[in-house]
Amino acid sequence: MSVAAVRPGGAAFNALRLAFGALAVAFLLLPLVAILPLAFTDSVFLVYPISGPSMRWFGALAESQAWTRAIVNSLIIGTGATVVATVIGTLAALGLRRELVPFSGLLRSIFLLPMVVPAVVLGVGMQILYARMGLASSYLGVIIAHAVLCVPFVLVNVSGSLASMDPALERAAASLGASPVDVFRNVTLPLAMPGILTGAVFAFATSLDEVVITLFVAGPNQTTLARQMFSSLRENISPAIAAAAFIIMILTFLLLLAVKGAALVQALRRKRGIEGS
Amino acid sequence: MSARLKALLLILPLVIFLGLFFLWPLWMMVSTAVQGGTVRLAFPQTAIAIASWDGSGPPPAPLQAALVRDLRADTPQERFGDAVRTLNSQQAGFRTLLPRTARAVRESGETEAIDLQAVDPRWSDQGYWLALKRSMPAYTDANLLAAVDLKRNDEARIEPVEPDFAVNRAIMLRTFTIATQVTLLCAAIGLPFAMLAASVTGWKRNALLIAVLLPLWTSLLVRTAAWLILLQDNGLINQMLRAIGLIDSPLALIYNRTGVLIAMTHVLLPLMVLPIYASLIAIPRNLMPAAAALGAAPLQAFRHVLLPLAMPGLLSGSLLVFMVALGYYITPALTGGAGDQMISSVIAFYATGTANWGMAGALGLFLLVPTTVLYIVYNRLSRTPLVPA
Amino acid sequence: MRDSNPFIHFEAISKVFGTVTVVDSLDFHVAQGEFVSLLGPSGSGKTTLLMMLAGFETPTGGSIHVDGRRVEHLPPHKREMGVVFQNYALFPHMTIAENVGFPLKMRGVARAEREARVKRALELVRLGHLADRKPSQLSGGQQQRIALSRALVYEPKVVLMDEPLSALDKQLREHMQLEIRALHRELGLTVIFVTHDQGEALTMSDRVAVLNRGKIEQFDTPSGLYDRPRTRFVAEFIGETNLLAGRVSQRQGEAATIVLASGARVTCDSAAAFETGHDVMISVRPEMLHLVQDAAAANALPVTIEDHVYHGDHIRLHLACGESRLVARAGRRDAAPPIGSKAFASFAQGDCSLVAP
Repeated sequence: MSVAAVRPGGAAFNALRLAFGALAVAFLLLPLVAILPLAFTDSVFLVYPISGPSMRWFGALAESQAWTRAIVNSLIIGTGATVVATVIGTLAALGLRRELVPFSGLLRSIFLLPMVVPAVVLGVGMQILYARMGLASSYLGVIIAHAVLCVPFVLVNVSGSLASMDPALERAAASLGASPVDVFRNVTLPLAMPGILTGAVFAFATSLDEVVITLFVAGPNQTTLARQMFSSLRENISPAIAAAAFIIMILTFLLLLAVKGAALVQALRRKRGIEGS
Repeated sequence: MSARLKALLLILPLVIFLGLFFLWPLWMMVSTAVQGGTVRLAFPQTAIAIASWDGSGPPPAPLQAALVRDLRADTPQERFGDAVRTLNSQQAGFRTLLPRTARAVRESGETEAIDLQAVDPRWSDQGYWLALKRSMPAYTDANLLAAVDLKRNDEARIEPVEPDFAVNRAIMLRTFTIATQVTLLCAAIGLPFAMLAASVTGWKRNALLIAVLLPLWTSLLVRTAAWLILLQDNGLINQMLRAIGLIDSPLALIYNRTGVLIAMTHVLLPLMVLPIYASLIAIPRNLMPAAAALGAAPLQAFRHVLLPLAMPGLLSGSLLVFMVALGYYITPALTGGAGDQMISSVIAFYATGTANWGMAGALGLFLLVPTTVLYIVYNRLSRTPLVPA
Repeated sequence: MRDSNPFIHFEAISKVFGTVTVVDSLDFHVAQGEFVSLLGPSGSGKTTLLMMLAGFETPTGGSIHVDGRRVEHLPPHKREMGVVFQNYALFPHMTIAENVGFPLKMRGVARAEREARVKRALELVRLGHLADRKPSQLSGGQQQRIALSRALVYEPKVVLMDEPLSALDKQLREHMQLEIRALHRELGLTVIFVTHDQGEALTMSDRVAVLNRGKIEQFDTPSGLYDRPRTRFVAEFIGETNLLAGRVSQRQGEAATIVLASGARVTCDSAAAFETGHDVMISVRPEMLHLVQDAAAANALPVTIEDHVYHGDHIRLHLACGESRLVARAGRRDAAPPIGSKAFASFAQGDCSLVAP
């Protein structure tokens, strides 16, 4: 193939584009697809081909105290961190909305820092702090640490939904006789809700996936699903890991689907309505 | 209540929360890193008591009592050993004096008062107490120097540590190398991918975008585990390569640099694609036809129109990927070998392995500062938000 | 003014944002049942004035009375005004019936009565059949009517409209203008209507306040504004006009003789505000300018025809009169004089206005 043949619009170029696209999509998706079926293998090895389908590894998870404990811990800590992060993150997004506070932009950047600061660095600091405060190896400590990491996701999503809200709506409500509390309850909150829910889902998913900070601040009693998976991956790789991965993926996707799906349905209905009228 | 005050009150909980549980821990890490050395760590109560002794006259009773309490405390053996070595380098004799005193203190009853001079007459020598005071400065650069393989010699001059112990610089260099390699790989795949996604429409574009977003929404741990499975000796990749006859014996794809680069590139690729895609999609649709109408050949139009307009996205994406890659711990820990661990794993080792928070903090500072600087640059340059919602 | 005791009364009202004075010590009143438009270019302060009345901006100085009560420190939800916003501001998460019922719900009206009143309000704008739809399922014109019905349902004392028709296309806009006028008459509403569209202001209002840089240039009936502009800004902003610079040379009662820059002399009525020796501008609407061949006609100015442009219902003639350019409007049946020919442009002394230059 000569260089001249590979030019935009040419057949060879199009073939190249197609090949690249297919390879890149395969690279992105293959790992996600490959791990799921292994949760149902009946072999003791995490390899293909799967000799026969079986639920034995889910059974193994259910029987293992370490794993069930980890799942329960993840749910407790995830819920706690999500609640804390969603409440204070939403309040802050409301407060930052009109940039009334001096240095709003700077504050917003600082609020997003937990997403950027390497987890290990924050982990060291939290370990030192918790040792002094007596929060080490406590549920509250892990929940707080996770909430720190979750807050940016809530802030970003809620700010997004507030920014896309027409400010005239709140004025309209006030002009129609709604007191500030009524305006918030009837207009602001319902319209921010999609952002709050998306933020909460991202927060929960973040907590569910968190390993590093957990390594630093959690005791053996607060071992989470992710932490348990991490040590299993280091020590003995078994299909139980694929089963745990399956649970994490399904949980995250269901939550995301619930939130994104609701938004999508709403958008579709709106579109159909406009076309119909 | 004024609108501004109301806004302030709404932000306040987050300010307090992050101040207490984000900024304060970071500050404590930094301050621990520069707080006076190993001796202080092993003798925390003595450190406080000795600060109020001016060094003239015999050491006061509270100071002696503080030393006894520290010796009775359950100090980790290696920390005690570090402190003894440091003190001995100041004043020969500590190597025998301290273990003997510690033994005597532990053998005595919990509340019994100890007469140090009776345990060992050297305690009446003021020189030992002065050496103790000298070894407990409020602040030290020892950890920061050690983090870059330097130390102060006995004349307080800075010199490199013995080559056998000089590992940190190599690991920092490795961290930057891996982060750079991952950034380049992400750019090499991400730029054409984003261009492809921006150039097609309808279901094709949606499919390409979903292929980027699905991994982003999937647990990092799950993705790393998946690569572990795919890349192992009898994993899918090796099986496939063998099936098509490319190789006879399995390639070593995991527990080495290859594994780390593949897994990290996969994990960080979406962070590269999305900003580039965002900058490409903002380009007016008729710009490329306009360039063509003005006589630019497709490749020229690409070089002079599309590429410059994609640059801000490429820059944001690269900054983001590099910044995040610097602090990676989980993925290298699971997919790399001993020679592929990044600075995070050393920090984790010091903090959780040996409870040497001073060293962990000093190394953490060397990770925190570049990351924060990159974040500031990113904020300046980029209009794309950090999280795609 | 229909009422000696004004219903809405702005007194020395000002609004300053930082160093910018947006509304500059305005006095202004509106009678009950009147339809008043605030007309002006963007930045003239018209929306700020409306927002101060609605309670979304606090005046920097002065007072606002509505129905005998000072209101400038009342929060918006206690002002009992119906506001119609530029982009309607319908609540996207509520149905049409919920939107219209919202102000009643906020006032604690019982459900049954609420439903009945919502029904009546929707029928007023003939959209009763859309009660269960969401706003996004409605067309722009329908949303506009819902916004109107929502602002009227609780029978507010005053209805404020902030460029409510600007998002609609021309045909729909003209239709809605008629509809709003009809509602105004039918319900005896007091309406304050902000617009930057002079045609809209002239066709809809009892009176129009023309605002410029935070001040009222003229507050008058539509025909008063068009036929008797009192400032150069109004003459140029409302409709189209020809401006001729000159100096008052002689006064005869209400009328005056003015010497133009070209040396020509013309006579104009209603020159009461100008003394002999004053510099003035004569404003003549294009349709008041007639082409004649007779140099002795009233106020005849020698012109050269430069171009004529066909506009369907009329023909526009572009004329050169010395250094200045004039526009005249001719009926479509009039024979257009050939380009380059000479003629005289004449206007009656009652068909022009004098304004300060």
